[in-house]
Amino acid sequence: MLAINEILFNIQELLGDNAQIKKFFLGKATIVINAKSIKDVVARLVKNDSTLGLSAITGIDLDKTIGLLYHLRTSEGIVTIKTEVSKGKPIISSITNIIPGANFHEREAADLFGIIFKDHPNLKRLVLPDNWPNDLYPLRKDANLEDISKSRDNFSYKIDGSQSQEDSLVNIIVGPQHPALLEPEKFSLKVDGEIVKYVEPRIGYVHRGVEKAAEKKTYLQDVYLVERICGICNACHASAFVESVEKILGTQVPDRGKYIRTVILELNRLHSHLLLLGHAGLEIGYETLFQYLWRDREPVMDLTEMLTGNRVIASSLTIGGVRRDIKETHIPIIKKQMIYLRERMIFYKDLFENEPSIKLRTKNVGVLSTQDAIKLCVVGPVARASGVPIDVRKDDPYEAYGEIPFKLVTRNDGDAYSRLMVRLEELFESINIIDYAIDNLPKGPYRIKVPRVVSAGEVVNRVEAPRGELLYYLKSNGSAYPERVKVRTPTFSNIPAFQKTIIGENMADVPANIVSLDPCFSCTDR
Amino acid sequence: MGDVKLVKKRISPMIKEVLTRFFSKPVTEKYPFVTTEVPEGFRGKQLFNIDLCISCGLCSRDCPSNAIEMVEVDGKRRPLFHLDLCIFCYQCAESCPRNAIKSSVFFELASNDKKDLILKPEANNKTGGSD
Repeated sequence: MLAINEILFNIQELLGDNAQIKKFFLGKATIVINAKSIKDVVARLVKNDSTLGLSAITGIDLDKTIGLLYHLRTSEGIVTIKTEVSKGKPIISSITNIIPGANFHEREAADLFGIIFKDHPNLKRLVLPDNWPNDLYPLRKDANLEDISKSRDNFSYKIDGSQSQEDSLVNIIVGPQHPALLEPEKFSLKVDGEIVKYVEPRIGYVHRGVEKAAEKKTYLQDVYLVERICGICNACHASAFVESVEKILGTQVPDRGKYIRTVILELNRLHSHLLLLGHAGLEIGYETLFQYLWRDREPVMDLTEMLTGNRVIASSLTIGGVRRDIKETHIPIIKKQMIYLRERMIFYKDLFENEPSIKLRTKNVGVLSTQDAIKLCVVGPVARASGVPIDVRKDDPYEAYGEIPFKLVTRNDGDAYSRLMVRLEELFESINIIDYAIDNLPKGPYRIKVPRVVSAGEVVNRVEAPRGELLYYLKSNGSAYPERVKVRTPTFSNIPAFQKTIIGENMADVPANIVSLDPCFSCTDR
Repeated sequence: MGDVKLVKKRISPMIKEVLTRFFSKPVTEKYPFVTTEVPEGFRGKQLFNIDLCISCGLCSRDCPSNAIEMVEVDGKRRPLFHLDLCIFCYQCAESCPRNAIKSSVFFELASNDKKDLILKPEANNKTGGSD
């Protein structure tokens, strides 16, 4: 990936004085440009370095205008391109044909801020309901959300996925009441016999408007709100949010607090990966695997309960540290369970490597090449299974990850089997991280007192959730309430991979394909 | 579908695992016929001690789900907990300057009536609640 100085040099060369560069702001640097030149800038950057990825597009209401922040992923961290469009005429060129992974990000900004992305291939509703009023953009500050029910007449309801008369393709609609995934989402597939030719995903069935709700609560209350975006990776959301607040406040969390946070975050990862691997067993018709993996997930849940007071929602992280200490009596129990888990993981690794039924269902299914993985900007285990070595814990260390040695797991095949194996091997790394953190737990305080009112500022922060890079953008205006909270969850970036991998495969491989991405629609529809 | 040639001929390790489980006792507990042990520090139903309360209202202000209502009891403002709204984060216990709110390991809160889930601040009942 391109180094930051090269990126800045390239843009300076292209635009001269029309680009203002602020170093160490919103990631490693922020480049303020005119909205007209966005396409040129991105095209230039991609031409120079084809591994550049887009992390997120954040919209923000700036009173007279709407700000758009393009967070680009480089090897050294996030670089943000900042631009503005007028509220009356919010038109900007789409960058989807340069970076295909920008597709969903642009559609989301179009839904929530009413931005028109010129030349976007498919600028349809993505996160808002079909009967949402046409000219109501919920994340604009002047949006009047109180009389939505009255303005329901003003909508353009269209039945999606109508079958074209010309071709012989058959529509099969999976969802919104999905038979296996337990979360509502819809995939409209077009099949030719057994072969999938086209797929159109639709999300947003459980969109809860957490980003808007977060603007109405205090920072302390928001910690509990963002935690509830996703049950499985709750501590990751809390971690990303509290770190953002701490960065604005300039708070240094005590070392012990950082280590305890790392333990909680890795327990989250163990929980998530074990859950997914078990679920994969269920999806491919191997229910025994599902039952046994979920049994072995129980020690992780019990440890979380012991350390935090709840099996699932940890509510352990808070601004300035953690809420509960790890007691001396807890340490032998954690160590004992880690020994048990490692033993079990050795068994499952052997099983995954030698069990015919797992391989038959997942090997060479849903192959995502390295090139496609970069283009679609996928994150986490999905990217790592396609040979893209990105992991926020390594690239941009947070909490105690900078001090803890662990291996970055990658595979090169890019099929469903690799994606499952990457997660299985990461379990070993998580166990090692917890062991190391417990052995090297620093002495001293585990939290410090922080002020309730946060000074004005904005920050981009990311953490490695079990499903991949989780990005938070936080803007504060000096009051007790945040101005804007943007959450870009890993699954939101990973769904486009499904659109790519399923084309040309059997209908029967759809479940294995979806499950290997570890989709979490509760995260996606935050 | 995957490639059949990839498969080596070997008995699955899972078969041995499953067979050995026939001779050990079940992992699942026979709840509710046995009591489930929850660890110390579990965030269950709150215990409110009215004698320690100084009516500051911090618990109500910090509650993320607006589950705490300040009500008049004998001329003083006291917190009333709506446990049906409560998310059991225990921010109230943390915010309380006098430690008047404590945690309990009581978790069996399922009820057919929302009224059962109101924890009233009563002087004669330190644990509060209607049960």
